Amino acid sequence: MGGLSASLNIAVQSMLAQQGAIETTTNNIANANTPGYSREVPNLEESPTVQLGTLTFGTGVRLGSVSSLRDAVLDVRVNQETQQQGQLNAFLESGQQIQQLFNETAGTGLQTPLANFFNSFSQLASDPSDLTTRQNVITSAQDLATAFKQTSNNLTTLQRNADLSVQQSVSQINSLTAQIAQVNQQVVSATKTGENAGPFEDQRQQLINQLSNYVDVSEVDAGSNGLTLTTSAGAPLVVGNQSFALTTQANPATGFQDVYDNGSDITSQISGGALAGEIQIRDQEIPSVQNSLDTLAFNLSTSVNNQSTKGYDLNGNPGGELFVPLTQVGGAAAGLSVAISDPSLIAASGTAGPTNSGDNSNANALLALQNDNIVAGQTPLGYYSDLVFKIGNDVSTAQSTQQAGSQTLLQLQNLLGGVSGVDINEEAANLMRFQTAYQASAQVATVINTLLQTTMNMVNPA
Amino acid sequence: MSVRVNPDLLPDLLASIQQSQSNETTATGEISTGRMVNNPSDNPAATAAVVLNHDQSSQDAQFLQNITTLQGRFQTADSTLSNVVQALTQAVSLGTEGATGTLSSSDRQAIATEVQGLLTQTLGLANTTYQGAYLFGGTNVTQLPFTQDATTGAITYHGNPHTSSVEISQGNSITANVPGDQLFQNAAGSVLGALQDLYTALNTGTNMPAAVTEVQSALSQLDVQRVTYGNALNQINLSESFLNQDQLNLSQQENTLEGADLSVVATNYSQAQLAEQATLSATSVALNQKTLLDYLV
Repeated sequence: MGGLSASLNIAVQSMLAQQGAIETTTNNIANANTPGYSREVPNLEESPTVQLGTLTFGTGVRLGSVSSLRDAVLDVRVNQETQQQGQLNAFLESGQQIQQLFNETAGTGLQTPLANFFNSFSQLASDPSDLTTRQNVITSAQDLATAFKQTSNNLTTLQRNADLSVQQSVSQINSLTAQIAQVNQQVVSATKTGENAGPFEDQRQQLINQLSNYVDVSEVDAGSNGLTLTTSAGAPLVVGNQSFALTTQANPATGFQDVYDNGSDITSQISGGALAGEIQIRDQEIPSVQNSLDTLAFNLSTSVNNQSTKGYDLNGNPGGELFVPLTQVGGAAAGLSVAISDPSLIAASGTAGPTNSGDNSNANALLALQNDNIVAGQTPLGYYSDLVFKIGNDVSTAQSTQQAGSQTLLQLQNLLGGVSGVDINEEAANLMRFQTAYQASAQVATVINTLLQTTMNMVNPA
Repeated sequence: MSVRVNPDLLPDLLASIQQSQSNETTATGEISTGRMVNNPSDNPAATAAVVLNHDQSSQDAQFLQNITTLQGRFQTADSTLSNVVQALTQAVSLGTEGATGTLSSSDRQAIATEVQGLLTQTLGLANTTYQGAYLFGGTNVTQLPFTQDATTGAITYHGNPHTSSVEISQGNSITANVPGDQLFQNAAGSVLGALQDLYTALNTGTNMPAAVTEVQSALSQLDVQRVTYGNALNQINLSESFLNQDQLNLSQQENTLEGADLSVVATNYSQAQLAEQATLSATSVALNQKTLLDYLV
């Protein structure tokens, strides 16, 4: 039997345990609005019992541990959704700018210069000997070449911007993985010494979530609460207390920065986060649009040149090429330029000799090109209209995926909040409970104190 | 025990406010531009269709401009030929007068001089230009079509027998000229030849009735050729009204593709506004909600 002092000890231990619980509750309330904070619960447990003969006595309560409430699976899901959002947001940011170059509903794009170019042949056919009409063909061709060049240059600028963003993302990723490696180590040591690793885990999860904005992260349990982070293709980012910095290196073919991890090129393997969106824009979306523009410019100018050389100019001499001939599809849009500056050299006539200034048969043939399938099996306008559709559709698809994803992310964050979020009412109720228990224990201590006094007076009567 | 819900209501409420605000912005944009499609991504298929629609409409505009050019040319040609008809009619009556046989030689030669004047006039008409281009030289529009040798009086055609065709609506072309030799030196009745023959006949007093008949047949031949211009004028007028109608249709089609139904947009706007107000008031309630702590004093 423990006697009165043992009871006093139980009361004091209880006061200490309740005080610890109150501290935990207070900390929860204080951190109710802290981003990444997971609520903590005080784990009160019975003290070991003592056996006296056949009797078993409890020895009170103790604060066994304080643990953070989190759901590792939800954390991972939130990170995955964040990666997708990061990728789509980066894609959309540039995608919106690309589609503005082809915003035909607002009158921007190549439709007007293309139509004006062919209309100039239509006008030429109606009045082939008129020099103003002939000059109009040259002017329209120059406008068309300028429009191609500007659109192509704007795309290149957007591509360079995306390349810059790739480098910035890589440096963000490196700064985050360095921090994560440090915190990861703190989580492991705290876990090994039996301390509450919760605050470190909060911090680590917060950092991994930020990292998910930039790159696809895959988590592997490395024991003792430690994590190994890789890209989803397996390139190491954080192992234990060590982080692996990504590097960039100019690709000799494109001039753009490729992403390397540990010496190997992982550019095409990045599948999430802003980095993936930026690479997608830089290496796929813009090159594809650029290639379509080049194909259009190349085939159009080649066909017009071919037809021009079949005709005869105002003086009855064989016609020359209207555009400076292009040798290859690549760079055709940016390199398109008009070769003829003398309006009398436009090949409107289909008959040789100087007595056919009113002959318009070649002008008609040039005009007919607009309805011929001269660009990849399509008419120039048909091909261009498909390009506009593709650009709009790419952005539209990304937008709807992004919207659906942001709803999912919100749902997941709500679920996570259900597990880890601090509820003030709940904390207030707990605070009341612990306060009452503390008061009761204090009262018990007072009672035992009185009993001890009584006992002492009994030994030493006045 | 019930499932613990997220105690933090703000992210949901803020997302909802953002959604309403974005809906309001969309509706405001649609009202101010009058279009549902303001970016290709709003409706990629409609944007692609708009590209073709705008192209069609701009082709129509060009066809209408071509028609204006042709109208001027055809009207000039037609009125020129009508002047030639007048000259020929006059030549017929002069020839008939000269052929009566009661005239003195000097009177006949006076008439012959008048016919000579008509010939010069007709030659001038055959060399008519429109905006710097000869109308009746075939496709040779920069060289004087008809010249007369000062000594022999022979008339030479320098033009060619070619015609040119001009598209006046999608896939529909029209012949833009009748070559001068066909009009003025037609084998079935040469206008210039008949006038020259009549002049010679009156001058010499021989073959006069035959010369008059020759002018008459040239006259009827010219009338046949003239119809070409009349028909062409009718055809381009028809084409003009077709193109105007087509442009109207295209602009209606464009409106269907990308135009905003203002009543729908206005409803969307007020719905977004209502939703935003409701969310704002819910937010203010959530933010001011009392907790258990408020009661624990």
